[in-house]
Amino acid sequence: MSKESDFYQVYEVFSRRGNKAPMQHQFSLLAPNREMAMIMAQENFMRREEVIDVWVVKQSDIRKMTSEERQHMTNRIDNKEYRTTKGYGYLRQKWKEKEQGMLDEKEIMSWKEVKKR
Amino acid sequence: MYNYVEDGDSKTTAYVEHDKAKYDAFMARIEAGEKIEADDWMPEDYRMALIKLISMHGISEIMGALPEKEWVPKAPTLRRKLGIMAKVQDEMGHGQLLLRVAEDLMKPYGKTRENLMEDLLNGDLKFHNVFHMPTKTWADAGMVGWLVDGAAIISQTNMLDASYGPYQRALQRICQEEVFHAQHGESIIMALAEGNEYQRDILQESLNRWWPSLLMFFGPASAETTGSSKQDIMIKYKIRKSTNEELRQAFLTKYMPRVFSLGLTVPDETIRYDEEEEKWIYKQPNWDEFKQIIRNNGPRSKERLRLREIAYENNRWVRQALATEPVSV
Repeated sequence: MSKESDFYQVYEVFSRRGNKAPMQHQFSLLAPNREMAMIMAQENFMRREEVIDVWVVKQSDIRKMTSEERQHMTNRIDNKEYRTTKGYGYLRQKWKEKEQGMLDEKEIMSWKEVKKR
Repeated sequence: MYNYVEDGDSKTTAYVEHDKAKYDAFMARIEAGEKIEADDWMPEDYRMALIKLISMHGISEIMGALPEKEWVPKAPTLRRKLGIMAKVQDEMGHGQLLLRVAEDLMKPYGKTRENLMEDLLNGDLKFHNVFHMPTKTWADAGMVGWLVDGAAIISQTNMLDASYGPYQRALQRICQEEVFHAQHGESIIMALAEGNEYQRDILQESLNRWWPSLLMFFGPASAETTGSSKQDIMIKYKIRKSTNEELRQAFLTKYMPRVFSLGLTVPDETIRYDEEEEKWIYKQPNWDEFKQIIRNNGPRSKERLRLREIAYENNRWVRQALATEPVSV
């Protein structure tokens, strides 16, 4: 026999607002099993917002960073700039001298459509 | 819907000798605007203040749904019925978010939601003064949405930058939904204010009755009034920004012009805004009555607690049916 208080498990709830949106963590809830967790998630997080998908995950199945690991992450000092476009900005001027535009993020992300032949 | 009740009969946790280095690092983090998470080290009095605040906030959301739900079957039109039903569901949803935040904080003490429900029913966990009051007419349904939720919005938005991450995240969602509650209440009030004589009468009568509760909502200005106050520790730890009195003044500044613009009055002929002092002068509510109300001696305290108890008992079979192994009761 278990106590009534042992009956609830903590579930973490994730939902996606649209096809291009990432799965986003919403909050947690208490439920006795994952089917009930799904029902509770809909009650708590889909009352009015547009949601196209919901995940519920038992909290004990998630390996979260510990408090110490998070501190370490936020305080690390290694330089990651060489992995970004920072430092290539001078190209804009170079291309301008050659009467060409810069192919920056905004430009490249706009190349969804090419001319139909 | 929220506020922090100063219950007057608990002592502020005595200062305990903190691990100095941990304490200094903690203070440096909150001073820098960082958020504290459930598994981070935190001083004991911070944890205790949060548990008290958030469990009371959460349970008040749930107890707050009770006076309003009485008006779901009695709403005058289908549109109003849908509106108030949605609001009642939101309040229950808010309660569930907040109880989760409180449960994570209570975990080191081995306490769960079941303990919170027990504490509510045996009177150790207080719920907000406004939810001990009756809702007598449809005007009260509007008044709760407009001014009671208005007062709650003043308190809750003051904590949108709270240092405790999970609470602050719950408040972002709650405050967004409160916008709907406020406008839902305003719409009921506006219809009554622009209605016939009977409608205007019940509106004025409702405001007269709710006035002392609205002033009490923010708690006493200082600990002298009710014997204890947690507002200093809440400000020190960046849980909230303003004092009880500052919040009450902000409420009066935002809402009094609107009250008067509808041709309504409040039952305090001395109320006025003092331009020189830049503050509202008003008659104090009866703080002894406030103490009685939050000790579950208000007009509807016993009935509402009994309703909560019946719901808990009546749904026991559902918990038993869903348990993977037999549950002892």
